[in-house]
Amino acid sequence: MRKLTLAITAWIVAITSAHFALNVNWQVLMNDRLPEANRKLNVAYIPVT
Amino acid sequence: MFQGFPEIKEALMSNKMQAAFMVAPMAIALRAQGVPVKIVYLGHRYGSAVVVRSDGPVHRVSDLRGRIIAIPSRFSDERLIVFRALQANGMDAKKDLRMVEMAPPDVAGALAANAIDAFSMGEPYPSQAEIAGFGRVLFHAREYWPDYISCVLVVRQDVIDKRPEAVQTLVDGIARSGLWLDEKERAKRHRLHAADFVGRFYYHQDPKLLRWALTNPIDRVKYEPLSPRRADFETIVTLMVQTGVLDHAIPFEDFVDTRFAEGAHAMTAWKYEAGDDRAR
Repeated sequence: MRKLTLAITAWIVAITSAHFALNVNWQVLMNDRLPEANRKLNVAYIPVT
Repeated sequence: MFQGFPEIKEALMSNKMQAAFMVAPMAIALRAQGVPVKIVYLGHRYGSAVVVRSDGPVHRVSDLRGRIIAIPSRFSDERLIVFRALQANGMDAKKDLRMVEMAPPDVAGALAANAIDAFSMGEPYPSQAEIAGFGRVLFHAREYWPDYISCVLVVRQDVIDKRPEAVQTLVDGIARSGLWLDEKERAKRHRLHAADFVGRFYYHQDPKLLRWALTNPIDRVKYEPLSPRRADFETIVTLMVQTGVLDHAIPFEDFVDTRFAEGAHAMTAWKYEAGDDRAR
Protein backbone atom coordinates (compact mmCIF):
# COMPACT_ATOMS: atom_id res chain seq x y z
CA MET A 1 0.00 0.00 0.00
CA ARG A 2 2.84 2.37 0.94
CA LYS A 3 4.63 1.65 -2.35
CA LEU A 4 1.47 2.35 -4.30
CA THR A 5 0.92 5.68 -2.49
CA LEU A 6 4.53 6.69 -3.17
CA ALA A 7 4.24 5.77 -6.82
CA ILE A 8 1.00 7.75 -7.25
CA THR A 9 2.48 10.75 -5.42
CA ALA A 10 5.64 10.63 -7.57
CA TRP A 11 3.51 10.40 -10.70
CA ILE A 12 1.37 13.40 -9.68
CA VAL A 13 4.48 15.45 -8.82
CA ALA A 14 6.12 14.55 -12.14
CA ILE A 15 3.04 15.38 -14.22
CA THR A 16 2.41 18.62 -12.31
CA SER A 17 6.04 19.70 -12.73
CA ALA A 18 5.97 18.89 -16.43
CA HIS A 19 2.74 20.88 -16.80
CA PHE A 20 4.19 23.92 -15.04
CA ALA A 21 7.37 23.71 -17.08
CA LEU A 22 5.76 23.15 -20.49
CA ASN A 23 2.35 24.80 -20.41
CA VAL A 24 2.67 27.82 -18.15
CA ASN A 25 4.19 30.98 -19.57
CA TRP A 26 5.88 32.30 -16.44
CA GLN A 27 7.03 35.50 -18.09
CA VAL A 28 3.44 36.45 -18.92
CA LEU A 29 2.21 35.39 -15.48
CA MET A 30 4.83 37.49 -13.68
CA ASN A 31 4.24 40.44 -16.02
CA ASP A 32 0.50 40.37 -15.24
CA ARG A 33 1.29 40.65 -11.50
CA LEU A 34 3.36 43.83 -11.88
CA PRO A 35 1.80 47.27 -11.25
CA GLU A 36 0.15 48.46 -14.48
CA ALA A 37 2.70 51.22 -15.05
CA ASN A 38 5.59 48.72 -15.01
CA ARG A 39 4.00 46.02 -17.15
CA LYS A 40 5.30 45.15 -20.60
CA LEU A 41 2.63 45.56 -23.28
CA ASN A 42 1.36 42.31 -24.73
CA VAL A 43 1.36 42.67 -28.51
CA ALA A 44 -0.61 40.14 -30.54
CA TYR A 45 0.42 39.02 -34.01
CA ILE A 46 -0.06 36.20 -36.45
CA PRO A 47 2.72 34.73 -38.59
CA VAL A 48 1.84 36.81 -41.63
CA THR A 49 2.99 40.19 -42.92
CA MET B 1 1.40 34.37 -31.48
CA PHE B 2 -2.12 33.78 -32.80
CA GLN B 3 -3.32 31.84 -35.85
CA GLY B 4 -6.16 34.08 -36.99
CA PHE B 5 -7.42 37.66 -36.81
CA PRO B 6 -10.74 36.90 -35.01
CA GLU B 7 -8.80 35.52 -32.03
CA ILE B 8 -6.60 38.63 -31.97
CA LYS B 9 -9.71 40.81 -31.96
CA GLU B 10 -11.13 38.94 -28.94
CA ALA B 11 -7.82 39.10 -27.05
CA LEU B 12 -7.61 42.84 -27.63
CA MET B 13 -11.20 43.48 -26.57
CA SER B 14 -10.78 41.41 -23.38
CA ASN B 15 -7.49 43.20 -22.50
CA LYS B 16 -5.48 39.97 -22.65
CA MET B 17 -3.53 41.88 -25.29
CA GLN B 18 -2.98 45.62 -25.09
CA ALA B 19 -1.83 46.04 -28.69
CA ALA B 20 -2.08 43.98 -31.86
CA PHE B 21 -1.11 43.78 -35.47
CA MET B 22 -4.29 43.28 -37.46
CA VAL B 23 -5.67 43.95 -40.91
CA ALA B 24 -6.65 47.59 -41.31
CA PRO B 25 -10.34 47.08 -42.19
CA MET B 26 -10.84 44.98 -39.05
CA ALA B 27 -9.38 47.79 -36.92
CA ILE B 28 -11.66 50.32 -38.65
CA ALA B 29 -14.70 48.07 -38.19
CA LEU B 30 -13.90 47.63 -34.49
CA ARG B 31 -13.72 51.39 -34.04
CA ALA B 32 -16.96 51.86 -36.01
CA GLN B 33 -18.60 49.42 -33.58
CA GLY B 34 -17.46 51.58 -30.66
CA VAL B 35 -14.55 49.43 -29.47
CA PRO B 36 -12.03 51.80 -27.80
CA VAL B 37 -8.93 51.16 -29.94
CA LYS B 38 -6.86 53.26 -32.32
CA ILE B 39 -4.50 52.60 -35.19
CA VAL B 40 -1.15 54.17 -34.31
CA TYR B 41 1.25 52.84 -36.98
CA LEU B 42 1.56 50.49 -39.95
CA GLY B 43 3.17 47.06 -39.89
CA HIS B 44 4.43 47.21 -43.50
CA ARG B 45 3.43 48.13 -47.03
CA TYR B 46 2.73 45.67 -49.86
CA GLY B 47 3.39 41.99 -49.11
CA SER B 48 0.01 40.61 -50.24
CA ALA B 49 -0.68 38.67 -53.42
CA VAL B 50 -3.32 36.61 -55.17
CA VAL B 51 -1.98 33.11 -55.80
CA VAL B 52 -3.40 30.44 -58.11
CA ARG B 53 -2.38 26.86 -58.91
CA SER B 54 0.72 26.82 -61.06
CA ASP B 55 -0.74 24.05 -63.26
CA GLY B 56 -4.28 25.47 -63.15
CA PRO B 57 -6.40 27.26 -65.73
CA VAL B 58 -6.18 30.76 -64.19
CA HIS B 59 -3.69 32.91 -66.08
CA ARG B 60 -5.34 36.32 -65.92
CA VAL B 61 -7.75 38.04 -63.57
CA SER B 62 -10.72 37.38 -65.86
CA ASP B 63 -10.05 33.62 -65.49
CA LEU B 64 -11.10 33.92 -61.84
CA ARG B 65 -14.76 34.07 -62.92
CA GLY B 66 -16.72 31.34 -61.13
CA ARG B 67 -13.76 30.28 -58.96
CA ILE B 68 -13.34 29.95 -55.18
CA ILE B 69 -10.83 32.30 -53.57
CA ALA B 70 -9.75 32.26 -49.91
CA ILE B 71 -9.27 35.48 -47.94
CA PRO B 72 -8.12 35.92 -44.31
CA SER B 73 -11.27 37.80 -43.23
CA ARG B 74 -14.16 39.76 -44.72
CA PHE B 75 -12.54 42.67 -42.87
CA SER B 76 -9.23 42.50 -44.70
CA ASP B 77 -7.33 44.43 -47.34
CA GLU B 78 -6.77 41.09 -49.07
CA ARG B 79 -10.51 41.00 -49.74
CA LEU B 80 -10.56 44.61 -50.90
CA ILE B 81 -7.70 44.05 -53.34
CA VAL B 82 -9.72 41.29 -55.00
CA PHE B 83 -12.64 43.69 -55.45
CA ARG B 84 -10.29 46.31 -56.84
CA ALA B 85 -8.55 43.95 -59.27
CA LEU B 86 -11.80 42.48 -60.54
CA GLN B 87 -13.34 45.93 -60.96
CA ALA B 88 -10.30 47.01 -63.01
CA ASN B 89 -11.00 44.03 -65.26
CA GLY B 90 -14.69 44.75 -65.70
CA MET B 91 -15.89 42.20 -63.16
CA ASP B 92 -17.78 42.25 -59.87
CA ALA B 93 -16.26 40.22 -57.02
CA LYS B 94 -19.68 39.77 -55.40
CA LYS B 95 -21.18 38.10 -58.47
CA ASP B 96 -18.25 36.67 -60.36
CA LEU B 97 -16.50 34.55 -57.74
CA ARG B 98 -16.99 32.97 -54.34
CA MET B 99 -14.90 34.18 -51.40
CA VAL B 100 -14.31 31.96 -48.38
CA GLU B 101 -12.68 33.05 -45.13
CA MET B 102 -9.74 30.91 -44.04
CA ALA B 103 -7.01 31.19 -41.40
CA PRO B 104 -3.81 32.33 -43.17
CA PRO B 105 -1.74 29.25 -42.24
CA ASP B 106 -4.33 26.99 -43.95
CA VAL B 107 -4.50 28.56 -47.41
CA ALA B 108 -1.40 27.06 -49.03
CA GLY B 109 -2.49 23.55 -48.02
CA ALA B 110 -6.02 24.22 -49.29
CA LEU B 111 -4.65 25.35 -52.67
CA ALA B 112 -2.35 22.33 -52.88
CA ALA B 113 -5.32 20.04 -52.15
CA ASN B 114 -7.49 21.75 -54.79
CA ALA B 115 -10.00 22.81 -52.13
CA ILE B 116 -9.76 26.37 -53.45
CA ASP B 117 -8.77 27.83 -56.80
CA ALA B 118 -6.89 30.85 -55.46
CA PHE B 119 -6.06 32.75 -52.30
CA SER B 120 -5.47 36.39 -51.51
CA MET B 121 -3.09 36.55 -48.58
CA GLY B 122 -0.15 38.28 -47.00
CA GLU B 123 3.37 36.88 -47.00
CA PRO B 124 4.84 34.37 -46.38
CA TYR B 125 1.94 32.27 -47.71
CA PRO B 126 2.31 33.33 -51.37
CA SER B 127 6.02 32.49 -51.03
CA GLN B 128 5.17 29.14 -49.44
CA ALA B 129 3.04 28.16 -52.45
CA GLU B 130 5.70 29.39 -54.88
CA ILE B 131 8.58 27.56 -53.19
CA ALA B 132 6.59 24.33 -52.99
CA GLY B 133 5.88 24.64 -56.70
CA PHE B 134 2.09 24.31 -56.66
CA GLY B 135 1.36 28.04 -56.53
CA ARG B 136 1.93 30.95 -58.89
CA VAL B 137 1.43 34.63 -58.12
CA LEU B 138 -1.36 35.93 -60.35
CA PHE B 139 -0.72 39.48 -59.20
CA HIS B 140 0.86 41.36 -56.32
CA ALA B 141 -1.28 43.93 -54.51
CA ARG B 142 0.94 46.78 -55.72
CA GLU B 143 -0.23 46.17 -59.30
CA TYR B 144 -3.74 47.35 -58.46
CA TRP B 145 -3.15 49.41 -55.32
CA PRO B 146 -0.13 51.75 -55.09
CA ASP B 147 1.08 52.16 -51.48
CA TYR B 148 -1.11 49.22 -50.42
CA ILE B 149 -1.24 48.58 -46.67
CA SER B 150 -2.47 45.54 -44.82
CA CYS B 151 -1.48 45.02 -41.17
CA VAL B 152 -1.57 47.97 -38.82
CA LEU B 153 -0.64 48.40 -35.18
CA VAL B 154 -3.73 48.83 -33.02
CA VAL B 155 -3.59 49.89 -29.37
CA ARG B 156 -6.32 49.99 -26.72
CA GLN B 157 -7.45 53.53 -25.93
CA ASP B 158 -6.93 53.06 -22.16
CA VAL B 159 -3.27 52.20 -22.82
CA ILE B 160 -2.89 55.25 -25.09
CA ASP B 161 -4.39 57.46 -22.38
CA LYS B 162 -2.54 56.00 -19.37
CA ARG B 163 0.79 54.92 -20.88
CA PRO B 164 1.56 57.04 -23.95
CA GLU B 165 5.31 56.71 -23.32
CA ALA B 166 5.07 52.89 -23.59
CA VAL B 167 3.15 53.21 -26.88
CA GLN B 168 5.77 55.66 -28.17
CA THR B 169 8.58 53.23 -27.26
CA LEU B 170 6.78 50.49 -29.17
CA VAL B 171 6.22 52.68 -32.24
CA ASP B 172 9.81 53.97 -32.14
CA GLY B 173 11.08 50.38 -32.10
CA ILE B 174 8.95 49.41 -35.10
CA ALA B 175 10.05 52.55 -36.98
CA ARG B 176 13.71 51.77 -36.31
CA SER B 177 13.25 48.12 -37.33
CA GLY B 178 11.57 49.21 -40.57
CA LEU B 179 14.40 51.58 -41.40
CA TRP B 180 16.91 48.83 -40.59
CA LEU B 181 15.17 46.38 -42.94
CA ASP B 182 15.04 48.93 -45.76
CA GLU B 183 18.54 50.36 -45.21
CA LYS B 184 19.76 50.82 -48.81
CA GLU B 185 22.78 48.64 -49.62
CA ARG B 186 22.47 46.72 -46.32
CA ALA B 187 18.80 45.87 -46.84
CA LYS B 188 19.39 42.40 -48.25
CA ARG B 189 21.87 41.42 -45.53
CA HIS B 190 19.52 42.71 -42.82
CA ARG B 191 16.52 40.97 -44.30
CA LEU B 192 18.34 37.64 -44.53
CA HIS B 193 19.33 37.94 -40.89
CA ALA B 194 15.80 38.97 -39.88
CA ALA B 195 14.39 35.97 -41.75
CA ASP B 196 16.61 33.69 -39.66
CA PHE B 197 15.77 35.02 -36.22
CA VAL B 198 12.10 35.78 -36.89
CA GLY B 199 11.62 32.33 -38.45
CA ARG B 200 13.26 30.56 -35.53
CA PHE B 201 12.15 32.60 -32.53
CA TYR B 202 8.85 34.29 -33.50
CA TYR B 203 7.05 32.75 -36.47
CA HIS B 204 8.32 29.19 -35.96
CA GLN B 205 8.62 28.85 -39.72
CA ASP B 206 11.44 27.67 -41.96
CA PRO B 207 13.82 30.67 -42.35
CA LYS B 208 14.16 29.70 -46.03
CA LEU B 209 10.52 30.67 -46.51
CA LEU B 210 10.99 34.09 -44.91
CA ARG B 211 14.22 34.65 -46.84
CA TRP B 212 12.21 34.18 -50.05
CA ALA B 213 9.40 36.47 -48.88
CA LEU B 214 11.75 39.25 -47.79
CA THR B 215 14.17 39.26 -50.71
CA ASN B 216 12.44 37.94 -53.80
CA PRO B 217 12.38 40.73 -54.91
CA ILE B 218 13.75 43.01 -52.21
CA ASP B 219 10.68 45.31 -52.29
CA ARG B 220 8.16 42.48 -52.12
CA VAL B 221 7.38 43.77 -48.61
CA LYS B 222 8.34 47.33 -47.66
CA TYR B 223 8.84 48.68 -44.16
CA GLU B 224 8.80 52.40 -44.76
CA PRO B 225 7.06 54.79 -44.80
CA LEU B 226 4.95 53.37 -41.95
CA SER B 227 3.16 56.53 -40.81
CA PRO B 228 -0.60 56.25 -41.22
CA ARG B 229 -1.65 58.60 -44.03
CA ARG B 230 -5.15 59.99 -44.36
CA ALA B 231 -5.50 59.25 -48.10
CA ASP B 232 -4.60 55.55 -47.65
CA PHE B 233 -7.23 55.06 -44.98
CA GLU B 234 -9.90 57.05 -46.78
CA THR B 235 -9.42 54.67 -49.73
CA ILE B 236 -9.91 51.69 -47.40
CA VAL B 237 -13.01 53.19 -45.75
CA THR B 238 -14.54 53.97 -49.17
CA LEU B 239 -13.89 50.41 -50.37
CA MET B 240 -15.32 48.98 -47.14
CA VAL B 241 -18.54 50.96 -47.62
CA GLN B 242 -18.74 50.07 -51.32
CA THR B 243 -18.26 46.37 -50.62
CA GLY B 244 -20.76 46.25 -47.77
CA VAL B 245 -18.64 45.65 -44.66
CA LEU B 246 -19.09 49.15 -43.22
CA ASP B 247 -22.45 50.97 -42.90
CA HIS B 248 -21.09 54.47 -43.29
CA ALA B 249 -17.77 56.27 -43.66
CA ILE B 250 -16.09 57.28 -40.40
CA PRO B 251 -13.58 60.13 -40.11
CA PHE B 252 -9.84 59.37 -40.09
CA GLU B 253 -9.42 61.00 -36.65
CA ASP B 254 -11.93 58.57 -35.14
CA PHE B 255 -9.79 55.52 -35.75
CA VAL B 256 -6.20 56.80 -36.14
CA ASP B 257 -3.97 58.55 -33.59
CA THR B 258 -1.05 60.06 -35.51
CA ARG B 259 0.88 61.51 -32.57
CA PHE B 260 3.07 58.42 -32.09
CA ALA B 261 4.02 58.28 -35.78
CA GLU B 262 4.85 61.99 -35.57
CA GLY B 263 6.95 61.26 -32.48
CA ALA B 264 8.86 58.57 -34.40
CA HIS B 265 9.66 60.80 -37.40
CA ALA B 266 13.23 61.49 -36.30
CA MET B 267 14.06 57.84 -35.65
CA THR B 268 17.06 56.26 -37.36
CA ALA B 269 17.70 52.62 -38.26
CA TRP B 270 18.91 50.31 -35.51
CA LYS B 271 22.67 50.00 -35.43
CA TYR B 272 22.85 46.24 -35.49
CA GLU B 273 24.61 43.59 -37.55
CA ALA B 274 24.51 39.81 -37.23
CA GLY B 275 26.69 38.80 -34.31
CA ASP B 276 26.26 42.03 -32.31
CA ASP B 277 25.14 41.43 -28.75
CA ARG B 278 22.42 44.10 -28.91
CA ALA B 279 20.83 46.70 -31.14
CA ARG B 280 21.58 50.37 -30.45
